[in-house]
Amino acid sequence: MKIRVTLGLAAAALSLFAAACGSSSSSSSTSTGGGGTSGGATLNGAGSTLAAPVYQQWASKLKDQGVNLNYAAVGSGAGVAQFTAGTVSFAASDPPLKPAEQAKLTKGKAVHIPTVLGAITASYNLAGVKSGLKLDGPTLAAIFLGKITKWNAPEIAKLNPGVTLPSSGITVIHRSDSSGTTAGFTSFLAASSPQWASQVGTDKTVKWPTGTGAKGNAGVAAAVKQNSGAIGYVEQAFALQNNFTYAAVKNKSGNYVSPTIPSTSAAVTGVKVPADLKFKATDTKAAQGYPIVSQTFVIVYRDLCKGGLSQSQASAIVKFLNYGLGDGQSVAQQLSYAPLPAPLLAKAKAAVGKLTCNGQPVSG
Amino acid sequence: MEAHVATPGGAPSIFEGAPGARAADRVFRSVLTALALGILALIVFFFVFLVVKANPALSRFGIFGFTFNNDWDVSRSTYGAWPLLVGTLITSGIALIIGVPVAIATALYINELCPRRLRGPLTVLVELLAAVPSVVYGLWGFLVLVPKLKGAQQSLADTFGFLPFVGGHVAGPSYFIAGLILAIMILPIVSAISREVMSTVPADHKEAALALGATRWEMIRTAVLPYSRSGVVGGAMLGLGRAIGETIAVTLVVGNAPQIGKSLFDQGYTLAAVIVNEFGEAATDRLHTGALIAAGLVLFVLTLLVNAAARALVSRAERRQRATGGAVPAGAAAAARVGA
Amino acid sequence: MTALPVISARRRRTDLFARGVFAALTLVAIVPLVLIIYYILDKGLGAISWHFLSTDPTGNFLGDPGGVKSAILGTLEIVLIATALAVPIGIGVALYLVEFGRGTVLGGVVRYFVDVLTGVPSIVFGLFIYTGLVVTHTLGSFAGWKGAVALALLMLPVVTRSAEVVLILVPDSLREAALALGAPRWRVVARVVLPSALTGLITGGLLAVARAAGETAPLIFTMGSTLPTNFDPFKQMNSLPVQIFNDVGQAQDRLVTRAWGAALTLVAMILILTLIARTLARRSRLT
Repeated sequence: MKIRVTLGLAAAALSLFAAACGSSSSSSSTSTGGGGTSGGATLNGAGSTLAAPVYQQWASKLKDQGVNLNYAAVGSGAGVAQFTAGTVSFAASDPPLKPAEQAKLTKGKAVHIPTVLGAITASYNLAGVKSGLKLDGPTLAAIFLGKITKWNAPEIAKLNPGVTLPSSGITVIHRSDSSGTTAGFTSFLAASSPQWASQVGTDKTVKWPTGTGAKGNAGVAAAVKQNSGAIGYVEQAFALQNNFTYAAVKNKSGNYVSPTIPSTSAAVTGVKVPADLKFKATDTKAAQGYPIVSQTFVIVYRDLCKGGLSQSQASAIVKFLNYGLGDGQSVAQQLSYAPLPAPLLAKAKAAVGKLTCNGQPVSG
Repeated sequence: MEAHVATPGGAPSIFEGAPGARAADRVFRSVLTALALGILALIVFFFVFLVVKANPALSRFGIFGFTFNNDWDVSRSTYGAWPLLVGTLITSGIALIIGVPVAIATALYINELCPRRLRGPLTVLVELLAAVPSVVYGLWGFLVLVPKLKGAQQSLADTFGFLPFVGGHVAGPSYFIAGLILAIMILPIVSAISREVMSTVPADHKEAALALGATRWEMIRTAVLPYSRSGVVGGAMLGLGRAIGETIAVTLVVGNAPQIGKSLFDQGYTLAAVIVNEFGEAATDRLHTGALIAAGLVLFVLTLLVNAAARALVSRAERRQRATGGAVPAGAAAAARVGA
Repeated sequence: MTALPVISARRRRTDLFARGVFAALTLVAIVPLVLIIYYILDKGLGAISWHFLSTDPTGNFLGDPGGVKSAILGTLEIVLIATALAVPIGIGVALYLVEFGRGTVLGGVVRYFVDVLTGVPSIVFGLFIYTGLVVTHTLGSFAGWKGAVALALLMLPVVTRSAEVVLILVPDSLREAALALGAPRWRVVARVVLPSALTGLITGGLLAVARAAGETAPLIFTMGSTLPTNFDPFKQMNSLPVQIFNDVGQAQDRLVTRAWGAALTLVAMILILTLIARTLARRSRLT
């Protein structure tokens, strides 16, 4: 009896709460279809947070075509791990697989499909300093080594005559997860600083000598946003989305270049692409190229069905990739990713065309 | 609360079915015993399983090397948990230093000093802190405390810069902020257990002190505190156990930096935080997975030791109370309420 | 008043000072709760709308981020499954401890191990289920039911301990009376012990549910996270704590706002459960 009364009270309280929520409604109430499956195949992808905005945007465009992509932006390292463990349909990784990683893929031969190019910005939260602060590789390396700790340090001031730099301390923000963005950024630092190369090295995770770790590109962006005096490395889409200010970085030819779509595209002109498409775009020789550009791949088994997918999933993945390498390129551009240059795009499309399901070609 | 032993109307009496009763009882008893044994088996399995899975890392670095080597470097496949262990100990130490005095004061105020009318509401307010989920503390800490307290942290670091392990540039996330959040999180546990233990102080002791002319404070100092000391210490250790294992709130505010910070206001890492950050990418790397599980094992053993000590202390207080006629173990009800 | 012994001014001052300190520290203890509730209401209320409660998160980088429908439903389903697992087992173990285990070695050992379980950090449970069930692909990879099992492990000791406390309170005279009348043990338990302790048992269950509903760490390890609503516990599911955890680490204001809104929803659910449990507890002497 007592219980019934109490349960009644609880129900009353809950409905009151619900009513309160309903009445404070402010935003528009357009329904987005509730995510119901429309008879299509569901794909699970995981990995790169650098490319996550692109894949999520592609997925939202493909929903009406029966492709339901559930993309988890867990970082390139975790994406590869989940793909190897067979828990997802494809991995998204910025760096190509290392031989040791490739050796663990037991269900067949893996294919790398490049999708877009992203510029890794050195974004800073510094009141009074606009975008375009000039930084070169050795200075960036010294900041991330914890050797330069003040914004008005002579090393930075020397590169930026005429800019009033605050005397505040530098808060370094880096990734805490295994990340392709880290791999791209550290390979640039290692190329420009011998001390970085020997002490820290280049990888998806490194042992950071200083700073705060955050999860994903979004996490680094959030931490930069929260902390005045912070510097972190995020893909350009995240920087633009949050109105960050970011540095113009000195490239190999000695020019200070800001990350833009043209300077990102310029970075891959002349890059040699091997037959397996495992190219790297960092530290370009091009005069107008932005030096910290990252490639990013979707990694699948060449025989999708032997790799564990159903026929309909295989066809959904091909549909997804064909869209991405077709109309998707301009969608990516709206998010300020650089499209693949035409020759590379042709090679990527050819690789998608060779995907099979139990030996049979897959129609997308 | 009254039980209807005899059911006069309609419902069948409890006496019927006497012939089969013995057999049914045997089944009943064995089912319950099996359940209890199942719990034991589960925990033993749990432990053995973790040890087996941690083995790749433990056999590579040795238990001692794994625990005390100051080098956690995933890219070089070197796993020494010392910086994490130190981070865990520093943050939970700060939590104790800040949280326990406040919790004890609260318990004393509610039990001995405050107007009777306030007692109930105050208890609920303090213990409701236990109902706030860890992720919400993390959210609040990350979005509010870290930016708002950055200035305060910096001035603390500057003012007390002459002390060891204090000073330097404050980035925001730090051992200190993590400790502060943990202090808030353990407050309800320590306070509830302390209150429960303090309420077992026999009224005669307190009245005797007052009758001898003691002030309230003197009564607390001479009668309440000495009597409840071991229980209160036990409560604090239960809080410590909670702080050591806390994950989500800490990982959001501690800074996730894989080395030992030079100052309390530096970023660091804890055992629990490293597990939650790295488990996803470790899935197919047996050594890395093993290292994370070994970190979990260190955490497990640490909380085990702390909790065993805490239980011993609290139950000593209980036993004394039972000797003076209490029916319910002190602390048990409180522990259930705040989920300790 | 004349009967009271004279207290020197110094002692009186010390007394006043001590009382002042205790009162002030009590105030300090309440400040965080007030602040947290203030911030959650301040930032979360604006986020909550019918749209927020009735749409799934979209995952779109641009445009409408969607709401938290799948997270609310996921949390409800997972906690329900976890309760169905933990409450019967927990009460069963408590019954063993009270009815058969009193004073026995096994009883002591079991009670000790239940205490041990209470102290195990939730992340260790998560790790256990992750390596035991997720990596091994037992009935799916990341899956809702695995999250539920992890939560059940967490709830089990809470249920057992609180159940034991109230079961012990059932007077032995009641049991003896019924036994003396020739009733078999199981009937005494089913008809006398459990009904008398019912309110207390429900309280313990509710407290365990409140504890489990807010847990994050064991869920990220075990059920992954997915955006659309999914009722199939053999697939990945969304949940409020995981949704909040994912949204906190986002830089975009709309996602952070969603985190605050989700936090408000979660805290409201848990506070209501806790307050119900406390109201019941007062009646069952579990205070």
